[in-house]
Amino acid sequence: MESRPNTIYRALDRKAAAITEFTMRQYRTKASTWVVLGVGLVAISLVLLIYIDVMATGFESVDNDRDSEDPDNDGYPTGQEIKYGTDPYMDNSHPGLLTPSIEPEPASNYIDEDGFDITISGGADEQSTGYDDDGDCRDADRTNSQKDSNDNNIICDILIERDRFSGDWYAEADNYVDEDPDDAAYAAEASHMAFVLGIGKMGFVLLLGMFLPLFLATGLIREEMNDGTMHFMLSKPIARTEVFLYRILGYLGIVWPYFIGLGIIFALISGFIGPSDGFFRFQDLAVWLAIVFATMMASFVYGMLFCALGTMWRFGIVLAIPFAAWELGMCIVSMGAPDAPILRFSVVGWALMIVDAAALMAWPNIDIFILQGQLMGDFGLIHSTSLALDFFHSEPGVGTSGLISAVIATVVLLVQGAVLWFIGGAIFKGKEIE
Amino acid sequence: MMPDFDQQGKGQTKAWQPDLSAPAVLLEGVSKSYGRIFALSNITMALNGGVTGILGMNGAGKSTMFKLLMGKLKPSQGKIRLFGTDPWKNPAPYARVGFVPEHEKMYDWMTAHQFVSTFARLNGLTRAEAMLEADRVLNFVGLADVAHKKIGQYSKGMRQRAKIAHALVNDPELIILDEPLQGCDPLARTTIMNVIRELGRMGRTVIVSSHILQEIERITEQIVILHNGRLLALGNLHAIRDKLDQIPHRITIEAEDAKALAKDVIDMDEVYGISFPDMKNLSIQTHNLGAIHSKLPAAIVENGHRIHTIDNPDDDLASILGYLTSGGGI
Amino acid sequence: MNEEEAIPEQSIEFGAEAPVTGQGRMEAAWGSSEGDEDLSATEVSQPTSTGHVFEQVYKPWKGTLNPRWMRNWAILRHHLLGIFKKGHRPWGMPTRLFILIVFIASLSDAALTLLSGLVGDGTLHQLWGVSRDNLYGHVLGFFPRNVLYYPIVAALLVGSVISEDRQHGTSALYFSRPITRFDYVGMKFVSVALIQSFVVLLTLSLYYFAEIIALGRGWAWIMDTFPLFLAAFLSGMVLIFTYTSIGLSLSSVSKGKFFPGIGLLSIVLGTKVLAILVSTLFDREILYLLSPYDCMAHVGQTMIGTQPTYDQYSWTWSLASLIAMNAIALYTLSARVSSMEVTRE
Repeated sequence: MESRPNTIYRALDRKAAAITEFTMRQYRTKASTWVVLGVGLVAISLVLLIYIDVMATGFESVDNDRDSEDPDNDGYPTGQEIKYGTDPYMDNSHPGLLTPSIEPEPASNYIDEDGFDITISGGADEQSTGYDDDGDCRDADRTNSQKDSNDNNIICDILIERDRFSGDWYAEADNYVDEDPDDAAYAAEASHMAFVLGIGKMGFVLLLGMFLPLFLATGLIREEMNDGTMHFMLSKPIARTEVFLYRILGYLGIVWPYFIGLGIIFALISGFIGPSDGFFRFQDLAVWLAIVFATMMASFVYGMLFCALGTMWRFGIVLAIPFAAWELGMCIVSMGAPDAPILRFSVVGWALMIVDAAALMAWPNIDIFILQGQLMGDFGLIHSTSLALDFFHSEPGVGTSGLISAVIATVVLLVQGAVLWFIGGAIFKGKEIE
Repeated sequence: MMPDFDQQGKGQTKAWQPDLSAPAVLLEGVSKSYGRIFALSNITMALNGGVTGILGMNGAGKSTMFKLLMGKLKPSQGKIRLFGTDPWKNPAPYARVGFVPEHEKMYDWMTAHQFVSTFARLNGLTRAEAMLEADRVLNFVGLADVAHKKIGQYSKGMRQRAKIAHALVNDPELIILDEPLQGCDPLARTTIMNVIRELGRMGRTVIVSSHILQEIERITEQIVILHNGRLLALGNLHAIRDKLDQIPHRITIEAEDAKALAKDVIDMDEVYGISFPDMKNLSIQTHNLGAIHSKLPAAIVENGHRIHTIDNPDDDLASILGYLTSGGGI
Repeated sequence: MNEEEAIPEQSIEFGAEAPVTGQGRMEAAWGSSEGDEDLSATEVSQPTSTGHVFEQVYKPWKGTLNPRWMRNWAILRHHLLGIFKKGHRPWGMPTRLFILIVFIASLSDAALTLLSGLVGDGTLHQLWGVSRDNLYGHVLGFFPRNVLYYPIVAALLVGSVISEDRQHGTSALYFSRPITRFDYVGMKFVSVALIQSFVVLLTLSLYYFAEIIALGRGWAWIMDTFPLFLAAFLSGMVLIFTYTSIGLSLSSVSKGKFFPGIGLLSIVLGTKVLAILVSTLFDREILYLLSPYDCMAHVGQTMIGTQPTYDQYSWTWSLASLIAMNAIALYTLSARVSSMEVTRE
């Protein structure tokens, strides 16, 4: 014993390990820990179950231009009759009477027979895009001016214009261009992406990332002070700031694996169930990784904050309530106006930026995808699902590329956590403990 | 940008050394007030070596003084030094200190061995070292056979011993025990008192607080008496008693013929008063206990009195405390 | 001369399955035996002289106990007066302050109605005067009343109302008197509900009254609108009842002072957030059935007759869910309180 020098720096890792392990063991013995973790799991799994149900039920394809119907009951869908130039409303006029006779096609050929291929390339305010996949504009027997109903001198296209004041895009399609897009595919893809973003932002980052620290981290120091057991920890050659930090590390040792586990489960399930070309949506993994990471960062900062509030004042948790209301408000703002400067004053704004950055990197065409839905949807299924996706998606607020935004946001969150650690530690240092 | 681990501004890079010329515990003019109420006022004392009992009724300021020593409270006035270092915002001296708090609540879900070894690691021991030291101290306090049972199943005495064990694990030179005998049954009390006496014999500075006066008497003769936050007396128990010579000592004798004995005793110079509590008892008031005790046997034997009991009812702590707190300080 | 007789070793295990006997509790509370000692007694071989050690004569108490309602009224009074008087149950200062603030804030619509009457502004009255929607909004509007005001008042009240007794052992003071556990819980429930009704229902009544005063409404108007007022009042009672039962059941489960309050807020707001999430994502309103606020709002909308905002399912589902939530909460509460140990836990 005598050979050891007596700085309180000595053996930081041993002290850290001791308190961290002790805290984690202490959490495991408390019923409230399991209740809170269990309730979080159940709540968020409910949403997952509903998602699974929605994806399993599938989406109905809508025949937007109604050319799969057969009003004259001659066995040939309207679209086929138009293609071959017969009259869809007269049953004595159909392609079967032509030479050579043409077999009737199934009606499903004329549902979702057109694609949705609006793209935006370059910065021009007026662009021509779109392609008539089913040929009912290009191949029709009409004059060029009839094919160019939007009067941009390009036949069978979609003219998209950006309004100079609002920045919104407006579309005007030539007749018979992209009039029957694939509702089911679009809706499935949009719903899936909206689910990932929605559950990631509101479920993981906001609900789990904020409520778990509220229940688990607030009493880290305060309860020990109230019970009188804080004397055991503080009568040792260890700085109070250290004790604060190691208690938080113990708390992180419980919640971080929980988030990682939950994130893996969600990523796997939604990756297999979501619409994909292969058997698994690998592109989503980046977003899930960001969601878990953002939740971990948020729980770290909130943990420091609530622990500091608890240390500061007996009723510190009461202050947590208006703060939680503020963060909820900021979450909504972040989804509506992601570059609002007021978001810089919140924790959740930065955490959500990480998710947005990853979405930008994993799904680079998401903006255009949403735009397609809005321009082509006509208040149908496409329109509503694209609105949902639009609600949960936003550009990262700092306006730079995805990776840089994520890095900036991470650094800011770490700084916030460190500052709260200093403040909490300073409050704890000056506290007189009865 | 390293965090302020030693809580004193600059990072503590040199090893903390105890100031060997300074006493283990030093208080100079220490006061602690909460608004207008003074929990402690103007305490000055120094303690080094041996077992010292801190005595006082509930609310006298004993726990407050300990918390000041352990850096849990900040003194409103005066200075406190542990081994020459101020403990407020500086936990470095605690490497040499063991503290047994008075709060009853412990970690019921841990075994005593886990409890002692986990907190031992906060002194910088490795896991293996901590286990060995835990075995050693649990053996010392007599909990070796139940060390692997949960503290929740312990009796009060065993819990106190577990707390003492956890305080001893870093082989401290100063051990502070706040009401260690509180709520213990007689068997546990005896065990704990033995432990405390042993520590004193080993040369440590041990400070024990209690309001159970008989137990303090059995552990030590060095006492400090606090009352209403003031220091009433400090020193050897008997010396304190002797100093109170404005308050007379009493000797109570139960005799066959109290009146006859009284006649023989009343002439002695040192006796200034006699009273008869009842038919068979004689109470002698004197200022000089030693002289009376040397003359009394001769007076009894020569005159052929038959005595059943001789008692010295004032020479214990209860009466000292009673005299001091009703009459004021020394 | 002295015999030593070893009393059989009493090993009292305090495992979870151990029956809670009186001795078990004593040992646990006071720890007078270590549980694994050899206890021995010394018996003196000569018989002691006979005689009473002490004499006790138990006489039945011949007084009259006051009626049950008086005892319950004492409990109720203790809790109610504590809000604004010393010498009764000490609600914390933040609680009292917040109740006062919410009371004043809830009167905003009454104040604006009065103003519209004074100023004679028709638009102001259209916005704030008594109407079906405004009566509904006073009690069940989401923002700000059911986000910032009423749930937080409920949370602050229920937080410590039972757990404080458990923590400090003052439940022993109650149960050593002729008070049943049902009365104990019942009176706490009623007192918390009454304090909340002060904030919700009294302000509603003041609002209605303000309209009558400010605009000089006659009996015809009162006869027309009174059913709406009653419906709103009833919805308010349902709201208070639900918050109180959920909050009290949480308070009986937890030992902490704040966990029940935070738990109540988390349940109310968390389920709402989840329900909004699902309904935005998938246009399915089913999760609203799990949110107490939305169930109450749906039922309230039906009762008051405002435009229903939940169109995927009928209000009877919401009512059933509300009843189920209250039943679970009350069952938990009664189970916990009837098994509550009277020693300090």
